[in-house]
Amino acid sequence: MTEIAAAGVRPGWRSRIDAGVSTARGTPDVRRRLQLGLAGIWLLVALLQYQSFMFSSGFNQMINATAAGNPRVVASPITWDATLVSHHPVLLNSIFATIQLLIGIGIALRPTVRLALVASIAWALGVWWFGEGLGMVLTSSASPVNGAPGAVIIYALLAILLWPADREGRQAPFTAARAIGAPIARALWLLLWLSLAYFALLPGNRAPQALNGMIASMESGEPGWLAALERSAASLVAHQGLTASIVLAIALAIIAIGVYLPASAAKATLVLAIVVAAVIWVFGEAFGGILTGGGTDPNSGPLLILLALSYWPVRATVTASARTAVIPATGQEGTTA
Amino acid sequence: MIPASILDTFAAIMLAVAAVSAARLVVARPWQQGTQAILADTDISHLLMAIAMAGMLVASLQTLPNAAWAVVFAVLTAWFAYRVIRDARASGVRALAGGHCAPHLIHAAAMLYMFVAFTAPAAHASGGMGGMAGGMGGMGTLQVPFLAFVFALVLIGYTIWDLDQLSGPGAGGHYSLAIARTAPAAAVLVGATAGSGAAVLSAPSAAAPASATAPVSAAATVGQQADASALASPAGQGVLAPWVATSCRIAMGVTMAFMLLIMI
Repeated sequence: MTEIAAAGVRPGWRSRIDAGVSTARGTPDVRRRLQLGLAGIWLLVALLQYQSFMFSSGFNQMINATAAGNPRVVASPITWDATLVSHHPVLLNSIFATIQLLIGIGIALRPTVRLALVASIAWALGVWWFGEGLGMVLTSSASPVNGAPGAVIIYALLAILLWPADREGRQAPFTAARAIGAPIARALWLLLWLSLAYFALLPGNRAPQALNGMIASMESGEPGWLAALERSAASLVAHQGLTASIVLAIALAIIAIGVYLPASAAKATLVLAIVVAAVIWVFGEAFGGILTGGGTDPNSGPLLILLALSYWPVRATVTASARTAVIPATGQEGTTA
Repeated sequence: MIPASILDTFAAIMLAVAAVSAARLVVARPWQQGTQAILADTDISHLLMAIAMAGMLVASLQTLPNAAWAVVFAVLTAWFAYRVIRDARASGVRALAGGHCAPHLIHAAAMLYMFVAFTAPAAHASGGMGGMAGGMGGMGTLQVPFLAFVFALVLIGYTIWDLDQLSGPGAGGHYSLAIARTAPAAAVLVGATAGSGAAVLSAPSAAAPASATAPVSAAATVGQQADASALASPAGQGVLAPWVATSCRIAMGVTMAFMLLIMI
């Protein structure tokens, strides 16, 4: 069936929504699968927000702690937010959790994906400031090992990179470039990973016992096997803060420039990114502290992995105008990419 | 301490799922259709899980002792494991990821895990699960919390997938009424053995188009077949529509993941 015929199958607004969402008969394409990964993480975050700890004074203390070390202009709204939460913990935390639940469900439902992604960007920016103290990037305690530049800002970044639109007339070399183009997508990747490399080299992070202390501090409240794992990892880097920081910074810098390399080399650096993110998630973040019963989110590890997957080179990503087709058996509009 | 209103809300959703599942069983009447009794397993499991979860969330809704529920879900887990293995033999490993029974296996196994691994707080040690209305302080936890985390991740994965497919343009065999629309209203599943790898619908309705009165061989494998209970229904519409079963599964997936995470 021709494109003209296909255009008559469903309204224009619905065609735009479906663009780049599926291949055929509802089977999601790569970008849609990544969107679903993002939706899953949002849903996980929402359900974690319903934990009893979040309704206690511990939650507002956690928020308040992110004000420390930040400039006054950043810290004051955080303190105000923490005070507000302390006065209405049940109401506000219920609202927070429900908003995140709706964002997760909204991204998973195709008709609401755009609305939910926009909402996720706005919400993530708000939480980045009021809940994470801008990921502590303005303090001396930011480290890629403990989640800098703030896991929640990566949610916003992913929402932009996975936006369900395609730049006309271009073939994207990787999924993250489909909506905003390869140059901008590469620049964002470079900025993120170079900033992580920079944070790794901050004086506070390259001190002899800095990394050791950071990892050892994650042991508290964890199950025995994970605590033992943390202890082993901490002892491995004991008094090796400078060396470990330099090695980590070099790895992060290589990852940063990887997207500018030819496809085969880029894939190697993306694998390195996934491995580094997984190691950080397990040893530096202890799965976001979820197993302690007090984790608000899985932290940055899974998001960095999802981000790396969105930069995985693809042979050819066909643009929206070329993809419109009709599935003969159903008359439904689909995609052929 | 989790507010009672949140636990009550989730319990209310579970009661609604139980009611819908019961209604589906009553309307479909699988007991009158011999071989189709096998296809009611989804709704029966939804019904049992929903009742059990409502009792876990709100103490006053408890029905059976924990040990009894553990036996029930052990049987359901074994049943769905058997069906998944049967599907895998017919359709390969794809049945594990996208099959009809795999999500139900995970749901049943997660329920079994919750009842077996539950550790009551000291104050409620003699009172079974005792509900969660007491909040974290008065609420039990789960042994091997990493398993709870893994179960929650898998449940969330299936839930997200269901939501996507439910709202998808093609919507696949699991979710849409495409097959039911093609076949006449009185389509009856006469063969859905895993070995055949395809469901065959007979279409005796005189009102149906001629092209649809011939047996319709679903192109999908067993793992891609429409929701079994919906296929078994007289119409596959109304309360028996596939999206109703999928919605129940979504609601249960979210609630189960919620319970697993708050009991870590």
